[in-house]
Amino acid sequence: MPAGSTSGGEPVLRFEDVSVFFTKRRFLGPPSVIKAVDRVNLEIAQGEIVGLVGESGSGKTTLGRTAIGLQRATSGKVIFSDGELNIDVSSAKGRVWKELRKYLQIIFQDPFSSIDPNMRVFDALRIPLQAQGVKDKKEIESRIYTVFNEVGLPTDILWNFVFQLSGGQRQRVSIARVLLFNPSFIVADEAVSMLDVSLKGDILNIIKKISKNFGVAFLFITHEMAVAKVISDRIAVMYLGNLVEIGPSNEVISKPLHPYTQALIQASPTIDPSLRDTYKVMKITGEIPLSREHPPGCKFHPRCPYVMETCRVNFLDMKEVESGHFVSCWLY
Amino acid sequence: MILSVRDLRVYFSSPRGQVKALDGVDLDVDRREIVGLAGESGCGKSTLALAISRLIFPPGKITGGKVSFDGRDVLSLSEEEFRREYRWKKIAMVFQGSMNGFTPVFTIGYQINEVLQIHGFEGDLQARVSELLRMVDLDPEIAIRYPHELSGGQKQRAFIAMALALDPPFLIADEPTTALDVVTQVSIMNLLKRLRKENGIAILLITHDLALLSEVVDRMYILYAGRMAETGTAEEIFREPMHPYTKGLIASIPTLQSTKIAGIEGFMPDLANLPPGCKFYPRCPYVMDVCKINEPELRNVKGDQRVACWLY
Repeated sequence: MPAGSTSGGEPVLRFEDVSVFFTKRRFLGPPSVIKAVDRVNLEIAQGEIVGLVGESGSGKTTLGRTAIGLQRATSGKVIFSDGELNIDVSSAKGRVWKELRKYLQIIFQDPFSSIDPNMRVFDALRIPLQAQGVKDKKEIESRIYTVFNEVGLPTDILWNFVFQLSGGQRQRVSIARVLLFNPSFIVADEAVSMLDVSLKGDILNIIKKISKNFGVAFLFITHEMAVAKVISDRIAVMYLGNLVEIGPSNEVISKPLHPYTQALIQASPTIDPSLRDTYKVMKITGEIPLSREHPPGCKFHPRCPYVMETCRVNFLDMKEVESGHFVSCWLY
Repeated sequence: MILSVRDLRVYFSSPRGQVKALDGVDLDVDRREIVGLAGESGCGKSTLALAISRLIFPPGKITGGKVSFDGRDVLSLSEEEFRREYRWKKIAMVFQGSMNGFTPVFTIGYQINEVLQIHGFEGDLQARVSELLRMVDLDPEIAIRYPHELSGGQKQRAFIAMALALDPPFLIADEPTTALDVVTQVSIMNLLKRLRKENGIAILLITHDLALLSEVVDRMYILYAGRMAETGTAEEIFREPMHPYTKGLIASIPTLQSTKIAGIEGFMPDLANLPPGCKFYPRCPYVMDVCKINEPELRNVKGDQRVACWLY
């Protein structure tokens, strides 16, 4: 089984060796290249939620944007398949692209800046529908009422202005908005990170319900391991543009293989007041390098506590250690 | 007590009426103590931090109560006296966005230097800057770097170094790690613990992340709609939360052990238009008739644990 393939079910979205490079031209000398996403292979099945975790700067958001075509891949393919049709998202143009956008949607992190605060809620939902050519007033209304119901919002706030809503309500509106076209695939980019703990659970439950009831595939981007564990079927861990580990959520959490995954899990807060007089000793130190030059070999080796000679030189592709559980590490 | 807040009230006037951001809040911080303050956004956490450092500006106003620092009422001081004797010297602050608080056009060293000079530090400025940077585990070389050359975690450390410039006995850290990665978050928390242990600094740690608090603080306060809902030692509160709001908050913390995340139904009430009685009753699963009429006060229930709830 190739790395990152689904455990069952038809893949809705497939990353095939996807790389995204950003090139910055310099006055003298060669242009500098930032490898935001580097040879990623991943499949997401119908009704499946894949959690994508990693620190900021790991390329999570770029991969998410590439998935729905907001960012074009430098090389490789992003294949969206809907039964018989296979479309390469990263090269879609014109009418295909416009049509495609209905099926691929994104929920952003910040509900305060992703919806125009001076719009009425109804308009914030009506405009995308009209942009996609839905003209019938009755249909517009019925679709809006349906999605509102789906996310558990009372319909009387449709006539409120967006700025009158609370953060939790706004995030529900943005979820309602992506549901307008019955999408097949949704990227949720840190969709609950800005919300209070008391609201996180609600939003996560809505996302789970949508995925299971309508068979929507999700790429759920988060930096919180605990959130990824609760929401996703599989977890993919990203470091400096590479996926370093993919596997079923429970396995990745209970038996993390990659030293980076182990560190992320170790760093996750627990509820334990007895820790307050102790220092948490992290096996890894330092931060994700900001420089454009990625380390050769395994990109994680400068921070890895188990670094070996081969790690400094040789890059390793994903290896299946247990059924469906892949890792890219020379330890295995 | 190094800091003691009594019956503090901060109101903001708005076209919709008075917004009672804080309404009769008590809080104590002892020497060498790390105290946590938690609650949802909009509950008044940051307003309390700003009020303690006297940074409430119109339309906001401290309308009542007392803030004593080392036994002296700091609200009655003139702005000039407070600035000269307390701000930075005795009460230092680190904010959530602090790492963006550096001017991009000057080096880190220059900016820390400036704080030292303005507040009349006498001694070797350069040596002090190096000492401060070392205190927060940064290479003193960083003094000659510009803010954009540093990572978020390094900037946050540098800002903490700046806050410590004048050896304050008390530090307010308002969401100091919210924008940082988990690995960096651990190192900043270790740093706060070390500052308390080695330098004897008292810290008021404000965050919405209860799991984080549980690993760091001695005592904690839970704030809801501008009022204290519960206070006690971290052990008491995490072992047996009493206020239904605290229970809800703790149940909503995502941890690696949880299989699903609960939540608290409903939203915080509008602070300009508060319900009578307990402010939490519209969301409370245990609501009784008395809750809708009379507001409960903080009462000692057991040990150090005090709860504002009619159930006890």
